[in-house]
Amino acid sequence: MKKLLTIAAALLVCGAALAQSLTGGIKASVVNRAGRAPIPGAKVELFQAGESIATANADSKGAFLFDRLSDGNYNIRVSAPGFIEAQINVTVEKGMTRDLIFVTMTQSAQVSDVDESAIVEFDLDDSGYSDAPTLLFGANDVYSNVAGYGFSAIRFKNRGYNSESQDVYLAGVRMNDAITGYSPYSLWSGLNEATRSKESVNGLDLAEFGHAGYNGATYINGTPNAVRPGMRFSVLSNSAMYRLRLMANYASGQMDNGWSYAVNASARLGGNDWVDGVFYRNFAIYAGAEKKIDYANSFAIFALVTPGERGAQNASTQEVYDLMNDNLYNSNWGYQNGKVRNSRVRKTFEPVVAFKYDFKPSDSFKTSTTLLWRTGFNGYTALDWYDAPDPRPDYYRNLPSYYFMEDSDYNRTNFEKAAIATETWNYRIKEYANYQHINWDRLYNVNYASGGRSKYALEERHVDQNDINLATSFRWNPFNVLKINGGADLKFNRTENYKKINDLLGGEYYVNIDSFAERDYAINEYKVQNDLDYFLENGTAEKVVKGGKYGYDYLAQVRKARVWLNGSLEVGKFTGTVSASLGRESFWREGLVRKGLFCGLDENGDEYFDPVSGEKLTSYDRNGDVISSKGKSKVSRFTTYSLKAGVQQILGNNQRVVLNVGYFNDAPTFNQSFISARTRNSLVEGLTTIKTASADLTWQYSKGDLNARVTGFWTKIMDQTDVMSFYDDSQSSFTNFAMTGIDQRHAGIEAGVKLPLPIPGLSVSGVLSWGEYIYTSTPHMVQTMDNSAEILRDEDVPYWKSNPVYRKAADGTFEQDLEGNYVLEGERKHYVPSSPQLATQISLNYRTDSYWFFELNGQYFAHSYIDMNPLYRTDFAVGGIDEKITPEEIEYMTAQEEFAPSFLMNFSVGKSWYVGNYNVGFSLEVKNLLNNTSVKTGGYEQTRLIKSANKDRYYRFDPKYYYMCGANYMLNLYFRF
Amino acid sequence: MKTKIFAIALAILASVSCTSLIEEFQPVFTGRYPDVPEEDYYELTPTHTIAQLAQMYSLGKGSLIPTVKGRDVIIAGRVSSSDKEGNAYKSLYIEDNTGGMEIKIGKTALYNSYRPGQLLYVRCTGLYIGMYGYKERNTQYNKYGNGMIQVGAEDPSGTYETSYIEETRLIDEHIFKGAPAAPLVPEVVTDHNKLPDWNDTQITNKYVGKYVTLKNLTYDNEIFALFYRDPNKNTKESSNRIFLSEDTFGITSWALSENKFKSVLDSGQWDDVKVGNGNDLNYGTVADHKEEIRKNATAISVSQYFKMNGSKPVLIRTSGFSKFGDYEIPEDILNGSRSIDVTGIVTLYQGSVQFVINSYDDIRYSDTGKTLPRQ
Repeated sequence: MKKLLTIAAALLVCGAALAQSLTGGIKASVVNRAGRAPIPGAKVELFQAGESIATANADSKGAFLFDRLSDGNYNIRVSAPGFIEAQINVTVEKGMTRDLIFVTMTQSAQVSDVDESAIVEFDLDDSGYSDAPTLLFGANDVYSNVAGYGFSAIRFKNRGYNSESQDVYLAGVRMNDAITGYSPYSLWSGLNEATRSKESVNGLDLAEFGHAGYNGATYINGTPNAVRPGMRFSVLSNSAMYRLRLMANYASGQMDNGWSYAVNASARLGGNDWVDGVFYRNFAIYAGAEKKIDYANSFAIFALVTPGERGAQNASTQEVYDLMNDNLYNSNWGYQNGKVRNSRVRKTFEPVVAFKYDFKPSDSFKTSTTLLWRTGFNGYTALDWYDAPDPRPDYYRNLPSYYFMEDSDYNRTNFEKAAIATETWNYRIKEYANYQHINWDRLYNVNYASGGRSKYALEERHVDQNDINLATSFRWNPFNVLKINGGADLKFNRTENYKKINDLLGGEYYVNIDSFAERDYAINEYKVQNDLDYFLENGTAEKVVKGGKYGYDYLAQVRKARVWLNGSLEVGKFTGTVSASLGRESFWREGLVRKGLFCGLDENGDEYFDPVSGEKLTSYDRNGDVISSKGKSKVSRFTTYSLKAGVQQILGNNQRVVLNVGYFNDAPTFNQSFISARTRNSLVEGLTTIKTASADLTWQYSKGDLNARVTGFWTKIMDQTDVMSFYDDSQSSFTNFAMTGIDQRHAGIEAGVKLPLPIPGLSVSGVLSWGEYIYTSTPHMVQTMDNSAEILRDEDVPYWKSNPVYRKAADGTFEQDLEGNYVLEGERKHYVPSSPQLATQISLNYRTDSYWFFELNGQYFAHSYIDMNPLYRTDFAVGGIDEKITPEEIEYMTAQEEFAPSFLMNFSVGKSWYVGNYNVGFSLEVKNLLNNTSVKTGGYEQTRLIKSANKDRYYRFDPKYYYMCGANYMLNLYFRF
Repeated sequence: MKTKIFAIALAILASVSCTSLIEEFQPVFTGRYPDVPEEDYYELTPTHTIAQLAQMYSLGKGSLIPTVKGRDVIIAGRVSSSDKEGNAYKSLYIEDNTGGMEIKIGKTALYNSYRPGQLLYVRCTGLYIGMYGYKERNTQYNKYGNGMIQVGAEDPSGTYETSYIEETRLIDEHIFKGAPAAPLVPEVVTDHNKLPDWNDTQITNKYVGKYVTLKNLTYDNEIFALFYRDPNKNTKESSNRIFLSEDTFGITSWALSENKFKSVLDSGQWDDVKVGNGNDLNYGTVADHKEEIRKNATAISVSQYFKMNGSKPVLIRTSGFSKFGDYEIPEDILNGSRSIDVTGIVTLYQGSVQFVINSYDDIRYSDTGKTLPRQ
């Protein structure tokens, strides 16, 4: 009834308008964003002041027209099956017909209702192995659509680039983590509806919303008015991540009074069928309000937070997987009094609050300014222990290979013990479960018996960010053919890194000393202190209780400022683009506790001396600078800039060609710039900016439902830094390893094609990503002792980019020439790890007019490589104990493992029912139909070495791998009105 | 119609949610974890005393401990050693009235699980009995003799007569914890003649492997230590070995940590020491290989020579990895003006008494009974 009244009212308004002036109007063509193909039959609805006043369907060329409109502001909503709804505000003035030319629509991903947590996060702290895949959003072409989601299970990285190369904007603010550069998807994962409205660009393309690098950019709108209006509920269940996701969303759309608001909430709960011990208990909430004050002014405020806990998965060696007969064995958990407990739990509460102000003085010029604050905490638990055996079940001394190896040169000859260990791992009986998993009960009992002092404790490593951003930008469209965009960003980041006691596991306190330092400097009480100031004040190390900080505590301080400008000019069939940025970044470390090993100078600037031995404790690096754990480090400052240019030509026959080139000078990230940020202020020597040169060339074809794109790309990334800490068996010590001058080259093609078949609704699509991502330089490394900062090695890493291959005779021995030299046959390249360098998919899609869809696809992945450990590429590790480098040793120690190729099949089906304003539907996806459980998605080499029985060479420890889940499902039910 | 669809949709959502919840929240527990009960203690009946077990050993070879009369061999004893201060390493001593026995458990920080004084049962059947530290008696020089009988696992490599019991399940299936109790009270030995001779074992002398207090030890101005030019290389090779013996070589601490080792090496006091075994000293001196030795420096154990009651030699052997090894022996002990009483375990190595202390507080001045300064 109410509705009838409003329609009547609208008709009256129209009638009134009719009486005044009937000449105004709005027209446009609805086109597919990919290739501008028309979308016939798209539904176009015209709103005025929040009320629907007319509807139309696009004709066969996608065109529509609303005429006889009075002057005023209108809102158009365009929808079409398979596309994301689009909304546009239009002003009709002076009785003219506004020609919008194009209304572009973005194809919705076929099973789009997943979130970024589809990218299972692994437990990576100890390995140095980086595992943050890049995600492609914006299903604006076939390739991105598939590569962005369909390849996520294999942890595909677009063009092989690291995650930090992809810029992610939220409401205008670049969100990439200030410390690591990673895209912080976890900040909003679970808020699919609130973050659904996105724009994105690929590769080197120009982004109107902000500055983008060489790996594209994604702009998440994030403001309430951008959230799809209406009420939505969904329930999702799947068997590879978490069991259940509940989600609710309500958005008002813009109301009569100019306000709009939106709320989105979800819970992700439970474990999965494949990996034991993992669980989700994550919640997410988004709330925002937006006010359009008048035509020119609007502001929005929103906040989001995703609090929760998540149990993590860990990598093990193939030996362990084989013993457990399970490639998804997870060593992180065990039984505590019969209950499964995971030792590695990520606990997060990181609210983001943003205030955005948009000013649009005219249709052709608008500005937008956002103030955004990220705060809260991010904790990650792990077992810690003092003077007690390693509690991890897959510790190498618990494995059969520690006792016996076929090759007697490993000096592991106790077959009997190996047989016992094999039996311990092999039998799935209850009595053995405590050997195959963490034995929490034993840890508690050790603590019970030790008189209050916990020998085992659960630590919680914190990275607590305070990140304040101010970003402002403008979009200016002075003429139809010219667009100019620009902006300025400021970032202020202060991140506290520390650990605290999460659980004393039955004890009463944990003593705040450095057990590694104690091993080396047992009688030197100053040197073993994690907090020397506390010790000097109290005469004893602190007894830390639950919640207390201990170990290390420092601030990472990062400041960034940047201006950017870009523009595009259309001349006939050509469009030229230019983009540039200029910035200044600085960062420093600020130690909050004085560690005994690196005590530095006291408050009066005096050196420390051991009171018993008189030994000087203050130490200096080779440049003569004092090494200090407390206080402010030197400030690293970098000027950053970038330049991009591109040209696009529209060819006849629905084709276009785009060429882009770019050069980037980026600052290194904080986490790659300190030798050991946990312990001291020392920066990596020779720290410099990362230079990247990149080019891509795209050919695109689009006609009707036929879409095709082929892009070739070439990128060279230079002067990267990597730091890691590990135990070096040759030194029997924990060491820090800083590698500089790492260059890599990424070249390849990506292609996508969607081909309609003669049967209506049936199409076939294929995508291909084929590249070569290799290391191209010989980096330099400086290895220092963690306990003393003594420099152990300062040399190149000669086998980093490749290893020589020597000719072998038929019997497997290496051939020598007449002079006794081995015969070099060539060099084997070393590759950028983890992502498959060849990834393809062919899929068959069928959509019906009654909103059914089916998809069956086959995927093939190849050329994935292990993440290399630089230690194994040094002359020292290759040469072994006798320091003689032989072809056998080179081949054994330096070669990089290539993972076996894999073939996967996936199927999905879905259906929507529209009844009145209600929409109910489901989608079901069955992934890995062939139940392939031998697909490696990543892996890394350990750093430890085994001395040969002959004491002449080293052997490696086995690498650790991550595997993909076997057959799994995801069922999503949704309900909207 | 609308309400019907709404109701049906809600019903489906609700039922899916519920089934998921019921199914899922059993296997992964995310609430407050239950307290862990204290472990149960065993009460077993031993079949053998330690001396009786020692009788199963025949000199020169390790052997499997069989069942006896169809029953597993079980010994019981109380824990006397502690690796808390790092002097004992992968080794646990238990003792009964007949003597002490070393159980070679291949784990570190054993004191966390096996508390001093705690009663342990060792199911010996399936383990090996062997001796470590035996060297055939040289009658000409009256040197060498027995080592210690130990219980361990098989060593198929033949390097030693037993090997470590390392695998956790193997340990759990052979070592059973009895009730914890107060630490042992050491028997005080004042008569040095009671200490074991070169050919004693647990069978013939109850102090072998036993936790005791020895009275009145005076410093004998001699140490023994062995290190290598490069411990990564063959340590049996004469050219790789450096012996410090029959003098003190400027070593005035109980042992040498890596750092202390470097500082004494740098002091030049070893420069003239020849490299090689006693009868094969043809590889130059420490000074010739100093850079290599420094680069490969590691902590080393030291035996400091004492005499009990001025006559019986007792070597106090301390690990370079122990937490007290770097403490300096006070000058009044080094110059012989004061003597010490020590509490620890009597062991035999090549016929000599090697005394192993658990804690630095186990060394006291004989006259005052006070512990030594930590300096």
